[in-house]
Amino acid sequence: MSASALAKRPLLSRHLLDKAAVWIVLLILLIAAGFVSEAFLKLNYLGNLVRQAAPIGITAVGVTFVMILRGVDLSVGAIVSMSAVVCALVMDGKAENLWLAIGVTCATGSLIGLANGLLIAYGRVSSFILTLGMSIVVYGLVQMGTGGTARGIVSPGFREFLNDRIGNVVPTLAICFVIAVVVGIFLQSQTRFGRNVYLVGANPHSARLAGIPAVQTTVIAYCVSGLFAGLGGIALLARTGVSGTNPGAGMEFDVLAAVILGGTTFAGGRGGVGSTFAGVLVLFIALNLANVAGLPFAAQLTIKGIIIIAASAAHAWIGRSGGDRTE
Amino acid sequence: MALLETHDLTRRFPGVVALRAVNFTARAGEVHAVCGANGAGKSTLMNVLSGTIAPSSGRVLINGKSVSFTTPAEARSAGIAIVYQEFSSIPELTVADNIFLGQEFRKGFGIVDHKRASSEARALMERFRIDLDPDAAVGTLGVADRQLLELARALSTDAQVLILDEPTGVLSLSEQRNLFEVIRTLRDRGMLILYISHRLEEIFEIADTVSVMRDGELVATREKGSLDRKELVRLMTGHEVSDTEAIVDSLAGGETVLTIDGITSDDSRILLAEGEILGLAGLVGAGRTSIARRLAGLRPRTGMTAQLKGKPLPFDAAGVLKTGLVYLTEDRKEDGIFGPLSIPMNATAAALDYFSSAGFLARRRERSEAATLLEQLRLVASSLDMPITSLSGGNQQKVLFARALLAQPKVLICDEPTRGVDVAAREDIYRLLRDLSKRGVAIIMISSELDELIAMCHRIAIVRHGAVHSVVANEDLDEHKLVLAATGSDAA
Repeated sequence: MSASALAKRPLLSRHLLDKAAVWIVLLILLIAAGFVSEAFLKLNYLGNLVRQAAPIGITAVGVTFVMILRGVDLSVGAIVSMSAVVCALVMDGKAENLWLAIGVTCATGSLIGLANGLLIAYGRVSSFILTLGMSIVVYGLVQMGTGGTARGIVSPGFREFLNDRIGNVVPTLAICFVIAVVVGIFLQSQTRFGRNVYLVGANPHSARLAGIPAVQTTVIAYCVSGLFAGLGGIALLARTGVSGTNPGAGMEFDVLAAVILGGTTFAGGRGGVGSTFAGVLVLFIALNLANVAGLPFAAQLTIKGIIIIAASAAHAWIGRSGGDRTE
Repeated sequence: MALLETHDLTRRFPGVVALRAVNFTARAGEVHAVCGANGAGKSTLMNVLSGTIAPSSGRVLINGKSVSFTTPAEARSAGIAIVYQEFSSIPELTVADNIFLGQEFRKGFGIVDHKRASSEARALMERFRIDLDPDAAVGTLGVADRQLLELARALSTDAQVLILDEPTGVLSLSEQRNLFEVIRTLRDRGMLILYISHRLEEIFEIADTVSVMRDGELVATREKGSLDRKELVRLMTGHEVSDTEAIVDSLAGGETVLTIDGITSDDSRILLAEGEILGLAGLVGAGRTSIARRLAGLRPRTGMTAQLKGKPLPFDAAGVLKTGLVYLTEDRKEDGIFGPLSIPMNATAAALDYFSSAGFLARRRERSEAATLLEQLRLVASSLDMPITSLSGGNQQKVLFARALLAQPKVLICDEPTRGVDVAAREDIYRLLRDLSKRGVAIIMISSELDELIAMCHRIAIVRHGAVHSVVANEDLDEHKLVLAATGSDAA
């Protein structure tokens, strides 16, 4: 019948294009980087790249869920800061505190996420404003807690382990990032929670009619975002070794850039953790290239901003012309 | 002489030819219906004629002169105006301001002359005998009036050709009659009206000439007099389709499934038996959908109480669904489909309890069961992994039916189940509803198409002003009586 013929219109390619876009960009960037310097294509560099990206990448995995749900989480930068500080404080330079510190840090992140989720789901506040406010609250708490100086000492062995390279090639932190991505993909595709996130994000009205628990889904999604931000904070602490007073400042925008690059746009119900992984890598390779080209930090900031704008415009364009069919 | 002609008009999309060398001819002063199944190419043809899409090759001629336009604005200045299925008016503005949207009268300094707009609008309506208040805010208008507004908007450009795409989709019978009056006035003034519709009875009522499209080709253009309903359906589908014959089986005294109190005007109780199909007839805005949505837990159930198999119906949508009352929405886009998600994800959304255990999805089983069911429903799709928006209206509706079926309904409420659905898919939906009824599912069917209700329902409840005014058994009904009851003209 003709309907089947018409269904084959340009949609197929558009639909695939939307999913593949970020991977194509990643490939092009890698090839371009290879022309600039062969070092870019070495396993060593690539491992290093993933390691570098781990704090932002792990955080971005959690934020992806919130964004599929048509929300946004601007408090993750503050949660990363708080987690690094809390983790270092609880470790207090003692090896036996290691697991306790990790547990407390994860709980802290999840709790802030829980607060975000409850306020957004029940208070019906815009996630943009609420998480922005939350980030200011959390930054304030961190400043009060530390008194403005770096506090806490990491456990011995903590940095050494996470900054080690397995088989002398692949950094442990890079593996942690990959594990976070795998866990994220599992959550998103194999669990009721992940499916509910997509359904509510794609169309909240249809979701209600289909009996999907939107409030519960929202609350869990923000918890997940908070938890992954907590883990991101631990990864950051492992990289820097000192908690600083505000190590995660501004990180929410890198995270946002990576997630949007991957195709998880504000439209809801689209994208996913796998694409976010590619988005994170694209962002970091682009920044590294800028670095190699000798662009100053300010120029790199501009590049980041342009990436956010261009990526969301591109995905909106692909999504619009591919998504709908009149008649 | 022909007012509008196309010569070998062709439009290719990657992988498909939507229009194949179409040679279409239409005269001034006729209502020319263009029909065909979903995807036959009629919308593409209209989009080309109205400047929304450019043809790949071929020409369009108006009054024998070749014209070419690449935007709707250019098509409008060439004399072709289109009224879309979906409204594009702005609710906050008045009728007059909407009519002249984008072509406002100015007083200078960019200030809009509302008074002039209002008087020009009034003159326009009088000329075409359209009954609309130019100063009313559009947001306060009902659907029918908004439809008239869209029409007035198209007329404000002095069009010679007016394209109406499914104009009666949301109109009740009397509103439809009103619209047809306007259309006839326009025709008598020498305009050409291209009329796109799925509803055959409408085509026979309003059209002078009928063109049929199938698979991107124009298969026939006939005078209405030389065409009957069966022949038209055969031309559209390319094969014989059984006409919607009366299919009501007598009920073998099934057990009561649903009890509803507080929705009838005389405080009587409505009982729905296993396997029964109850129709809700009435004008648009009479409150049929409101009754359905209150039952489904989507709106507060003020004054209404309902019991399913003797137990009170829960108040929340999720709870209602769990007890086995499933509501199939009339507005697919608004709260039916999950636009960006795949077809199986759309189909299983209301049955995730069944497709998961301990919070983990059984994805393979989910996919295979959804695929099997969709195949039974004769879904036409190039790939299940495509977003549901890639499907035609009829096929989207089939996916929504699959969702409802997977939710194991005891009571199924379907609200305008055949709206925007082509002839072949309609037959599939009718067959499905009959099957469900035979399997003991009680069905409440809301429809604005009376012949559909009469063909499908055991009993029909007439809804007026938000309440059920009377319930009649099917044997006692014909279309005429239903119209009278629905409009309140039967009041003795």
